[in-house]
Amino acid sequence: MIEISQLSFRYREGAEPILQGIDLTIPDGSFVGITGAAGSGKSTLTYAFNGIIPHCYPGDFYGSVTIDGLDTCEASLTDISRLVGSVCQDIDSQMVSSVVEDEVLYGLENFGVPKDQVEGRIAEALDAMGISDLRHRGIAELSGGQKQKVAVASVIALKPRVLVLDEPTAELDPASSLAVFELLARYARENGTTVIVVEQKIALLSDFADMLLIVDGGKVRFQGTPSEVLEHSDELLEIGVNCPRSTSLVNRLRARGLVDAPAARNVDEAVRACKQVLSGKGVSA
Amino acid sequence: MKGFLEYVPGDSLLHRMNPVAKLAAAFLLVIACFATSNLALLALVIVLDAVLAVQCKMVSQTLGLAKAVALFSLVLALIALLFTPQGDVLAQLPWGYIGTESVAAAVLIVVRLVACAVPLFLVFYVTKLTDMANALVKVLHVSYKYAFTFMSTVHFIPVFMNDMAGIMEAQTARGVEFDGGFLKKIRLMMPLCVPLLVSSVRKTNSAAIAAEVRGFNLRTRESGFKEYPFAGIDFAALVAAATIAAAAVALNVLL
Repeated sequence: MIEISQLSFRYREGAEPILQGIDLTIPDGSFVGITGAAGSGKSTLTYAFNGIIPHCYPGDFYGSVTIDGLDTCEASLTDISRLVGSVCQDIDSQMVSSVVEDEVLYGLENFGVPKDQVEGRIAEALDAMGISDLRHRGIAELSGGQKQKVAVASVIALKPRVLVLDEPTAELDPASSLAVFELLARYARENGTTVIVVEQKIALLSDFADMLLIVDGGKVRFQGTPSEVLEHSDELLEIGVNCPRSTSLVNRLRARGLVDAPAARNVDEAVRACKQVLSGKGVSA
Repeated sequence: MKGFLEYVPGDSLLHRMNPVAKLAAAFLLVIACFATSNLALLALVIVLDAVLAVQCKMVSQTLGLAKAVALFSLVLALIALLFTPQGDVLAQLPWGYIGTESVAAAVLIVVRLVACAVPLFLVFYVTKLTDMANALVKVLHVSYKYAFTFMSTVHFIPVFMNDMAGIMEAQTARGVEFDGGFLKKIRLMMPLCVPLLVSSVRKTNSAAIAAEVRGFNLRTRESGFKEYPFAGIDFAALVAAATIAAAAVALNVLL
């Protein structure tokens, strides 16, 4: 379980705190989506999960972050890394090897995974990301989506309890983005891994996340299941988070009392809501 | 041709050799090239270079490198030709003369640099950087921090070149004309070094954090998964390269 209590952080060079008074509890095995406008503090929030703040970026850190009882302020970055696997936003910077197999091997070597387990871990991680065929390929030859999957595979090979990903689909087309999320969700389900993803594509997050966090001005403005959060589509728009049009449509129907279905996360749910309205069964008696 | 120092897969003898052995053999050949002025021995090294290039199936790439090195060394050769007046006079110059030995010295510079560049070039292209770094750590007990620094430096060269190309394209789109003379291009590129430096620092910082969260600080000499034992071919290559180096030194002393 991850618990954040009264977390505030100001970068040393920043005038204002980038995170302010955040309280959060994330149960084991959750799939958490974090979104918000640019500069809202969502990436810094992920740095709190993996210990990058306060260990790598100096600043004023208040409050506490504990992961399975481990206080990220007191533990070393290496100890935190045993629990939390991180995939950074800049994939090219993350790569340390020239070949896919070596990239996955890198973390396993560092963490001293027994040699008789290494082969199995590599094969398993590549298979989980659906890139077993890329094992001997050069990283420079890969597309953006393939590199993203390699980056995730190299982290899940370490079998972390928590997986933190900062905009893993930033440079991907919609089909590749969906593929990455499907693979992540399947892996998390099968292994009971907690996944925390920062993502701009709220529709994508809503389809996969159990919990959605909307960060605004360094605070968690909305928190809950995707349907609960998407009910606030007008307020979300005001803080720079654009909900899918299907969500806005159903929310308008809800506002006029035409339907009492939950906020629609996608087109299919919106279609169902509209059908209810058209059939006159929108509002239950 | 792939990117700068980007691994070229293959199954040649050089591919299969121990990374430390092939690196040491390449350096012995470099020593041989610089220790001798004997054109016959340098020609022998060039023949060896050609055989290795064919074996690695990297003939066109090697020819490209040889051409580039020859062009660069021509500048040095020209300086030697004009400013080392030795041997019989071939042409008078206002400040001296071009002699027969000046021509020999100029030719020697070109042949020597081409001969010594090719083995290093081939070794770096047929060896994965991770294997090179891990073998140096395991066999020669080089600190992993230094090996990783070397690996990261090479890894980032194409990344920074791409960044520079992107910055130049952006400037071209805003009307900056990079076409023209070399000096003009350099003058226009100088201010672009600032954004490149900023993005480079940011990327290296991200890379350091990414390595750290994957257990970089836990790494020891024993961490490497692969072993790099020396085989017969490695010893044979080292003996051959050492013999050539010894012959070069001996020829230098005797002649």
